[in-house]
Amino acid sequence: MIKTNMIGALIVALSLFMVAQVSVSAESKAGMVKMDDAMAAKVADAIAKAEAARKKAASVDGEWRDTGKFIKNAQKAADAGEYDKALKLAKRAEDEGRLGYEQAVSQSELKIPSYLKY
Amino acid sequence: MKKILISLAVLALTATSVQAGPEEDRMAFINYYKGKFPSVPDNEYANGVYAIDPVGRENWEAIEEFPPYEPFIDAGQEMWEKPFANGKGYKDCFPKGPAIAHLYPHWDKEQKMVMTLPLALNHCREANGEKPLKYKKGSINNILSYIAFQSRGNRVDVKVPQDDPGAVAAYEDGKKFYFTRRGQLNFSCANCHLQNTGLKVRTEILSPTVGHVTHWPVYRSKWGTVGTLHRRFTGCNKNIRAKPMKAQGEQYRNLEYFLSYMSNGQELNGPGARK
Ligand code: HEC
Repeated sequence: MIKTNMIGALIVALSLFMVAQVSVSAESKAGMVKMDDAMAAKVADAIAKAEAARKKAASVDGEWRDTGKFIKNAQKAADAGEYDKALKLAKRAEDEGRLGYEQAVSQSELKIPSYLKY
Repeated sequence: MKKILISLAVLALTATSVQAGPEEDRMAFINYYKGKFPSVPDNEYANGVYAIDPVGRENWEAIEEFPPYEPFIDAGQEMWEKPFANGKGYKDCFPKGPAIAHLYPHWDKEQKMVMTLPLALNHCREANGEKPLKYKKGSINNILSYIAFQSRGNRVDVKVPQDDPGAVAAYEDGKKFYFTRRGQLNFSCANCHLQNTGLKVRTEILSPTVGHVTHWPVYRSKWGTVGTLHRRFTGCNKNIRAKPMKAQGEQYRNLEYFLSYMSNGQELNGPGARK
């Protein structure tokens, strides 16, 4: 999923780049803006996925401490145009959301540890 | 991290499903600690970690000579006695007061929920047109300190009416919370306060669960003030990098219900002082 996204973004970026290359300089600027737009869309998508994963973990009381903070910081980085940083943070938050959810549902049945003797 | 995960995987394999009621649970806890700390008398557990840490205990006894929570008791007495804007007061809501700490938490049949003392205090305020107090920090700790002090000598006496499925479910829910591993560090309350009680985490020795609820609010040197039990839950959840639940939300109230039952018979000795 993430891989295909990245390949997709690369193709978009490359084709934009080529378009920019053959255009006159005024248009090359427009190309750069478009490239930025593609990146911004990718980051927005990553953040949305992270937020969904966080919510899913929270729905089973499995949210981890810093997941929300990572998402906030990803958004801040995105707003500042630091897309790589934003992607990394969003990815981390999405991973945490998934792990927190799995952690909680894997324990849906109460198990008493064997060191406690009845 | 890997090591922890492996040892927890082993633990999961050796865990069993046990169908046990509150009293069986409590006895299992008591016997477990007895095995671990054979020389600690039953009634000592109300002193928390100082029941099992002789060095820390000396410092603590020195602190208790000039209790840092005293000003909060006085401020709480003022709150207790001062009427609300409508002329009524806490006394009208709690005619048995101020020594009422041992009556909480309890299963509230009408509202079908675990009623804790802080929640009951805020219900009283709201019924009288006052703003509710915050549940972790601030002046709720004053009135709780006063009530705790007045309630000293009473014993924890939590009941889980077995003929009320709601009460049983709330207790079971709290028990499940207690044994559920959470957060990035994948720890449950039990991992620290049962399995590893007596071991050191950073500079602190892990206290037993029995005795955890007897002495709130607590003046913590680290906080520089008194704080509530649910503030402590929040701290313990954060330490293992889990997102804490809402103070006085259902999860923490049910946890308090279970935790308090484990301390049944222990003497109330709040407010307390801790590191
Ligand atoms: C990583 C270990 C760890 C975990 C997990 C943990 N705690 Fe703690 N807890 C501590 C330490 C350390 C202290 C301070 C020393 C002490 O009293 O045990 C403490 C203190 C407390 C206290 C105050 C004791 C007192 O006498 O005032 C309570 C209550 C408590 N924990 C409840 C819980 C609950 C409930 C959970 C599960 C939600 C939990 N803890 C999970 C480490 C942990």
